[in-house]
Amino acid sequence: MGFGAVAACGLLPGATVSPLAPKPPHALARAKSVIYLFMHGGVSHVDTWDPKPELARLSEQTLPGNFVKGLKTSRIDFTKAIVRGSPWQFKQHGQSGIAVSELFPNIARHVDEMALIRSCHGDAFDHAPAMYLLSTGSQFPGKPCLGSWSVYGLGSENQDLPAFVVMSDGAMKSGPQGFGAGYLPAVYQGTLFRRGKYPVLDLAAPEGVSDRTQRATLDFIGAMDRRHIEARPGDTDLEARLASYELAYRMQTSAPEAVDLSKETDATKKLYGIGDPVTDDFGSKCLLARRLVERGVRFIQLYSGTHQGDDWDNAHNDLVTSHNKMAAKSDKPISGLLTDLKSRGLLDSTLVVWGSEFGRTPLAEGKNGRDHHPYAFSIWMAGAGIKGGRVLGSTDEFGLRPVENPITAHDVNATILRLMGMDHTKLTYFYQGRDQRLTDVHGEAEFTKFLLG
Amino acid sequence: MRFLLHAVLAFITLAIPAPAADDVEAGAVQILTANCSQCHSKSAAMAGLDLSTRETALKGGQRGPSIIPGDSASSRLIQAVMRQGTLAMPPLKALPAADIEVLRRWIDGGAKWPDGPQASDAKWWSFRKPVRPQVPRSGNAWVRNEIDEFVLRKLGESRLHPAPEANRATLILRMYFDLTGLPPTAAQVRAFVEDRSPDSETRLVEELLASPRYGEKWARHWLDLVRYADTAGFELDPYIADAWRYRDYVIQSFNEDKPYDRFIREQIAGDEFFPEDPVAQTGTGFYCVGPNRDLYPDQSDINREETLTDFVDTTVSVFQGLTAGCARCHDHKFDPIPQADYFRVQAIFAPAVKTKVALNRLSSLGYEVAANVREIKLREIGDRIRAVQERCRKEIADWKKGRPTDEAIRACLSPEESAQLREIETQLVSMFANYQPKPFACGITDMWNVSPKTYLPEKSGRAKQEVEPGFFAVLGGGEVPPAPDKRETTGPIPLYPTTGRRSALAKWIATPENPLTARVMVNRIWQYHFGRGIVATPSDFGSRGRPPSHPELLDWLATEFVARGWSVKQIHRLILNSATYQQNAKATPEAAERDPENLLLSHFSRRRLQSDELRDAVLQVTGSLNLSTGGRPVVPPMSKEELHTFTQRPENAWVVTADASEHVRRSIYLLQKRTFRLPMMEVFDTPESMLTCPRRESSTTAPQSLTLLNGPFAVEQGKKLADALVSESKDDAALVDAAWRRVLARDPQAEERRMAIDFLTKQTDNTGSRTGAAVELIRGLLNLNEFLYVD
Repeated sequence: MGFGAVAACGLLPGATVSPLAPKPPHALARAKSVIYLFMHGGVSHVDTWDPKPELARLSEQTLPGNFVKGLKTSRIDFTKAIVRGSPWQFKQHGQSGIAVSELFPNIARHVDEMALIRSCHGDAFDHAPAMYLLSTGSQFPGKPCLGSWSVYGLGSENQDLPAFVVMSDGAMKSGPQGFGAGYLPAVYQGTLFRRGKYPVLDLAAPEGVSDRTQRATLDFIGAMDRRHIEARPGDTDLEARLASYELAYRMQTSAPEAVDLSKETDATKKLYGIGDPVTDDFGSKCLLARRLVERGVRFIQLYSGTHQGDDWDNAHNDLVTSHNKMAAKSDKPISGLLTDLKSRGLLDSTLVVWGSEFGRTPLAEGKNGRDHHPYAFSIWMAGAGIKGGRVLGSTDEFGLRPVENPITAHDVNATILRLMGMDHTKLTYFYQGRDQRLTDVHGEAEFTKFLLG
Repeated sequence: MRFLLHAVLAFITLAIPAPAADDVEAGAVQILTANCSQCHSKSAAMAGLDLSTRETALKGGQRGPSIIPGDSASSRLIQAVMRQGTLAMPPLKALPAADIEVLRRWIDGGAKWPDGPQASDAKWWSFRKPVRPQVPRSGNAWVRNEIDEFVLRKLGESRLHPAPEANRATLILRMYFDLTGLPPTAAQVRAFVEDRSPDSETRLVEELLASPRYGEKWARHWLDLVRYADTAGFELDPYIADAWRYRDYVIQSFNEDKPYDRFIREQIAGDEFFPEDPVAQTGTGFYCVGPNRDLYPDQSDINREETLTDFVDTTVSVFQGLTAGCARCHDHKFDPIPQADYFRVQAIFAPAVKTKVALNRLSSLGYEVAANVREIKLREIGDRIRAVQERCRKEIADWKKGRPTDEAIRACLSPEESAQLREIETQLVSMFANYQPKPFACGITDMWNVSPKTYLPEKSGRAKQEVEPGFFAVLGGGEVPPAPDKRETTGPIPLYPTTGRRSALAKWIATPENPLTARVMVNRIWQYHFGRGIVATPSDFGSRGRPPSHPELLDWLATEFVARGWSVKQIHRLILNSATYQQNAKATPEAAERDPENLLLSHFSRRRLQSDELRDAVLQVTGSLNLSTGGRPVVPPMSKEELHTFTQRPENAWVVTADASEHVRRSIYLLQKRTFRLPMMEVFDTPESMLTCPRRESSTTAPQSLTLLNGPFAVEQGKKLADALVSESKDDAALVDAAWRRVLARDPQAEERRMAIDFLTKQTDNTGSRTGAAVELIRGLLNLNEFLYVD
């Protein structure tokens, strides 16, 4: 009996087993846990990880038609919009000398631990479909996401906490389907951690109910249920439900303990920027992510940016303000997370992924903005034995499209699964007449070998 | 583990009588198809092994022969599936012991491939028209109707016996939940228990089938199938205007026992069959209540493709129990549906467009004077508002880029301008004071009697190829007749001409000649009563689905369904009045061992309440339930925490229904948003409504316990009942008795009463009040397995 037992919409009646019990991987697992840092709203690749000096040179000009043929996006017309150079300077960092913009001065110090992929591309230029594509392999919602597949394949090392935890600044444009279990059993759904002592919905006893009262009521339920079960021997469902009340009660202790940052040292907190109003919120989430990794949580999806306020997507109207603001909130916390994981020896067994649903147009939107650009964008990965300081793929001189090693969402997901010890072609779930896969029939440009050197 | 497996196998060998050789052959090949063919087919042939024919299987792969006929022990296939030695197949999950045993028997019997009956040709069982089987005549007194004869025969073959009849209190509870989704009251239970007349059960079934609650319960099953929601999904998740009319149409259709063939015709082509009947056209809402992203106009080409895919997949899945989706990209690997057939069906929907169905259409008055006047006035008022705001808009735009917000404009207005706007506002309000929108439903119809062409997807080496509308060849095939000429029509003339394609499709489906339609529907009804269909994969009757546990019973029910005028209620009557249905839920040790999944129905299968039933039952027992029917979806209040994942600003998109008495209506009337399920419904397995859901899961998770124990809904409802009971009970014993009757519809046993009184005493100490203790008692009872499960 784990955080849950058995399956939302399936086709076959199932037996009661512990669906979150740890399961052996297909092969060597380099990453026991994954922290997926998702910059929600769309981060401009040409202003962060993919420098394009040509843009400054051709500033204020339109691009010749053959460059932009076939490209379309949500607001601008590629054939009429003008080129805009990056307002940020790029500087080389580390021994590898990888150029990173001044938006991420702290993360840049880790370039020698990171593998940067500059040639990601997709075809969905609206947020929700692009987010679904990246996390579930399909632009259409209702499919299981990477985190759900991971815990379906591997189970969890900690039965008292959710196996797949999601943290966000607020609502995402994808809605909960961005971290949904789709057709997989509901038990593999991401659990949203809220702020505060009780991170899981309805975890706290009702107002005014003391622990003593709660315990007595649980004991009463237990006593009555046992009488009920005695008359119905051998029914594992009934026993599992009885056990789920005890687990719920244990979680009332284990979850608040996991989210309690008060025992962390000041030095650690400072590392994450906790205490500084700009970085406190995201820093606390990053630190919590580390604590969850320590407790055996399999997959942590951490969103930066919300639909209802601060948002990378404010780059439509004001690239400089939005990116300065959002980068400032996340730069130090992410850097702190990498440092902290490394110093505790956790980085070797933890995969950290940084990504966004798409990049932004190298062409200007209005006076100060950039539009959505799914045709080329950058992500990076660190930890889990990845050989850092290297770049995979490249884009054309304007950052419009990949020219070397084009990488799709499927390839990224196949690679992440492989690092967790799973073969994306073998991790299947039978639904609607076929063995469904996260990568559908794709994922052939998996780049695990590149990452591991 | 291995020891256990051997033990189990040995046991099975002893316990199960050998099935006929034909069954073993078909079963074995099906096991290979389902589990091995992905890697070991003609096209894949990993390790050189192709298990799709006898010849290639005997030849084997790189490791040598996989099968040695007559010698299962030496056959590499068996060693691999037993996970002995170096090979362990299938790689991810071991086969069930029973499947391995079928394979062993099959090899020992010579490993013969059956003559033909594989899905890849038309002889597959479900593609042949059901033939009415001979009903066995056992002469056994247990038997009440034909269902029991078929069930008894299968039980006998496994030397199992039916369980005794359920006690009457259990039976009434089961029948209430199964037919109405609500529990009976304690008084209703007592009356039924005391009713000794021989036809009491039959009368109860009739009473429940006649209840308006019946339609509300069974429409829920149907809405799951048709992936119903009130919004369209994606980041803006906009309302689908009037989707709820389709929901009410489904409820009404079940309540009036609309013949299923007519129900199909209305949903697929109500506009073509019944142009004068707006209710029938509301059925075409089937095609409006699914997900769509029409709000992304730049992707209209992709959107149209997705919409057509949704139409085809949902239609074929719901009415035919087939998974056609595979054939969209390539010829179906396991079932005989070529890609061309998929697009022939897609072509049927090519001319279909969404439309508004005028529910009180007067054909003489297509033009409404009042609406026209209102429209003109609204435009005038819009101009006046803009004129007043003009100064501010300009002023703000001068120094602040972007569009000025409403707040900014309001702050800028002079007192005179504000007064002018207030005056306009008053006029606006008075204009709508007696306004009643004309009732519309959403539906589809054809844009005209011509259609855009449909092509097979282009492939390298294949020229663009047009396909004509038609139906799956394996199910009889056929072309759609050309669009009727309006001038030659003798029947009622529709407002606009259509192609007739969808009515042709509906005719193919809604006929006794179609081998799947009746079988699929009776199997669904069966599943919703027994928890598992005769075919356990209710929307997959193809080769990758499960074979029927009682094939003759399925065919008998299918033919009976047609013979009884496609009446769904008649099938309920047959099932609920059967001895099979009225068994108790206790498995004998023999049954638990020989048939752990209860495929043979040697007893009733206990089930957990579904999310809707659970919420409705809580409301019912606390006396809160508002049983009013139909209408716009109700939006109940939610806490900020509960709305945490909400994609839009809740103040704009979660507009709580003003009348609080609406908040406690049955769950089917609550707003169903695609991007947001009510947390309590979500944890109890309410489907996402992105794709058709033929069977809900019944999970057991800690979040369920948390929501029912600590969540605001359960807590508030518990308090409500506790308050009422405290004021009406003179002492703790009376309180306990009343609580038991209300929540569990029975009296407490003496021991339970004693335990509960002790509990009240203890909790009075802990909480400091008798009311506090009573709240805890109710909270406890609402969390009991007895409350959550139906025996």
